[in-house]
Amino acid sequence: MNEEFHYRVGWRATSSHPGHHPGMQSGGGFEFNGLVPFTSQPDPRNLDIRAMIADPHQQLMVKSFRQRAAIPVFLLADLSASMGFIGKTVKTALLAEFAAATAWSAWRTGDPFGLYVCDEGIHWDISLPLRLHKGLSDELHNRLMHFQPKSNNADGLLEAASLLGKQRALVFLVSDFHWPQGQIEAILNALIRHDVVPVVCWDSGEYENLPSFGLARMQDPETGQRRLLFMRPALLNTIRERFETRKQELMQICIRHGREAFFLLDRFDPDALTQYFYHS
Amino acid sequence: MNLAFAQPWGLLLGLFAIIPLIKSGQKPISYSSLVLLPEDRLSFWLDLALRILASLTALLIVLGMAGPYLKEQWVDKIGSGAHIVLLVDRSSSMNENFSGTYLGGTSSESKSAIASRLLAEFVERRKQDLFAVVTFSAAPIYVLPLTQDHEAVRSAILALGGRGHGITNIAPGLAMALEHFSGKPVTGSRIVLLVSDGAARMEPEIAESLRQIFHDEQAALYWIYLRNPKGGKLTEAPKNANESTSPEYYLHQYFESLGIPYQAFEADNPKALQDAIAIVESLENRPLVYQEKLPRQDLSGRCYGAALICLLVLLAFQTLEVKAWNL
Repeated sequence: MNEEFHYRVGWRATSSHPGHHPGMQSGGGFEFNGLVPFTSQPDPRNLDIRAMIADPHQQLMVKSFRQRAAIPVFLLADLSASMGFIGKTVKTALLAEFAAATAWSAWRTGDPFGLYVCDEGIHWDISLPLRLHKGLSDELHNRLMHFQPKSNNADGLLEAASLLGKQRALVFLVSDFHWPQGQIEAILNALIRHDVVPVVCWDSGEYENLPSFGLARMQDPETGQRRLLFMRPALLNTIRERFETRKQELMQICIRHGREAFFLLDRFDPDALTQYFYHS
Repeated sequence: MNLAFAQPWGLLLGLFAIIPLIKSGQKPISYSSLVLLPEDRLSFWLDLALRILASLTALLIVLGMAGPYLKEQWVDKIGSGAHIVLLVDRSSSMNENFSGTYLGGTSSESKSAIASRLLAEFVERRKQDLFAVVTFSAAPIYVLPLTQDHEAVRSAILALGGRGHGITNIAPGLAMALEHFSGKPVTGSRIVLLVSDGAARMEPEIAESLRQIFHDEQAALYWIYLRNPKGGKLTEAPKNANESTSPEYYLHQYFESLGIPYQAFEADNPKALQDAIAIVESLENRPLVYQEKLPRQDLSGRCYGAALICLLVLLAFQTLEVKAWNL
């Protein structure tokens, strides 16, 4: 069963495709866009009697409406090695679930959906072009779920950002955002044309649900660095504090670039995402 | 330098001790981003210490395999207890008293009875010495090995007071007495205390081999000669000297020619015997300074022991290892 969430955008779509979102084009809709002479829009259904009486030249006036439009919905997924972390959940599985929900929600809203799975390049075999897709196919869902992230960077995201087109789109940027500050800025700046929803995919196993005592040798899958950590209550607190600070930092950066970050912690709650859109 | 290695090429394996410094055996846990984890000083030093400890363990094992040893060396030692072999004549003439009168085997006045009584007292006074007992007549009899069990020695000596048999054949007795010393470290003076009332001719070859053994074993010889009035003196050459009529004289000459500490005591009455024993006792009370050769000492066991301790410490830390990040 596909989960569904509702999204809305705070800007007008330029697209001429009819859809769900407020658009720029005039056409069939319910949003009043002023009065125009009948000659420019010769549709007698929209003749406005009151306006014609009020008009000193007694012209025929029609009401003009704005057409609701479709917007492109993109999902940019970072599948660099750090997303291979397995804690309480498997991050790739969480990502697959989220992608399926997004694809399905886009279909239900009537928007075209595009998927770009990136690490150091773009994985075209598990990406989708911008089309009206009726959800995510089971096969693609499985492939996403069982993807083994290996790459040590996420530069493919920058490449994908340039492929999104000129039209303003709603972009879900899914990553763990374990990047240096500069890289986050670079990607958000590359996506400046679009409405970016940063989806921060974290696992409570990274900072909350830790072994309380012992020697843990940690390895960074991207840099290959190893470090021994002598786990003890004091260190656990430090780690939690570090993640709390990091969360605040991410919030700051994302708000500066347009939207709050949406945190995907351990599980995906579609209602929370709906709330995210309708509260902001 | 006293240290050497049995298999020095084994030290080459010590190069492998670098491995624990570079690489840890612990299975790493994949974590999303190490940059996010705080730098922890304690963890850093602990990591370093464990690596060094592991490396040290490897080095110690390799060192053990190379077989280090301390070379043999000489040390000065001061001996306290002497090793005394009582070599007692049990020939039939020992049943006589000092004046040459034959007494019965059970008589308490015979030379053998007096000798055994005085020797028993002698043994009694020398608590720290080791005693062995050999008797001889025609052939030597092995009675006791070198022992500190004075009760056994005393009993053995008192048993000598009984009746003697046969002739005096000194050479095999001496050989057997000297055998007690062979293969034992020299930790004190070694004495053969020969108590006899006569002597016999010795074959030149046997005499030569005994000379050799005396030197090898660094033994001293005291001869308490229980002389009867008719017997010849040791120091005066008999008028018609030949080995079959006065063997004692020749034996004495032979002993003196051995080049070992040697002293003879002539005792022709019980009092003289007692004095002779007293003199022997005073002579052998002095401490003996001697050099002992320490065999080479194998140190690989200590290396393995130290490695074991290191391994136990490592093992303790291994039990602390976190196998999986989230359980």
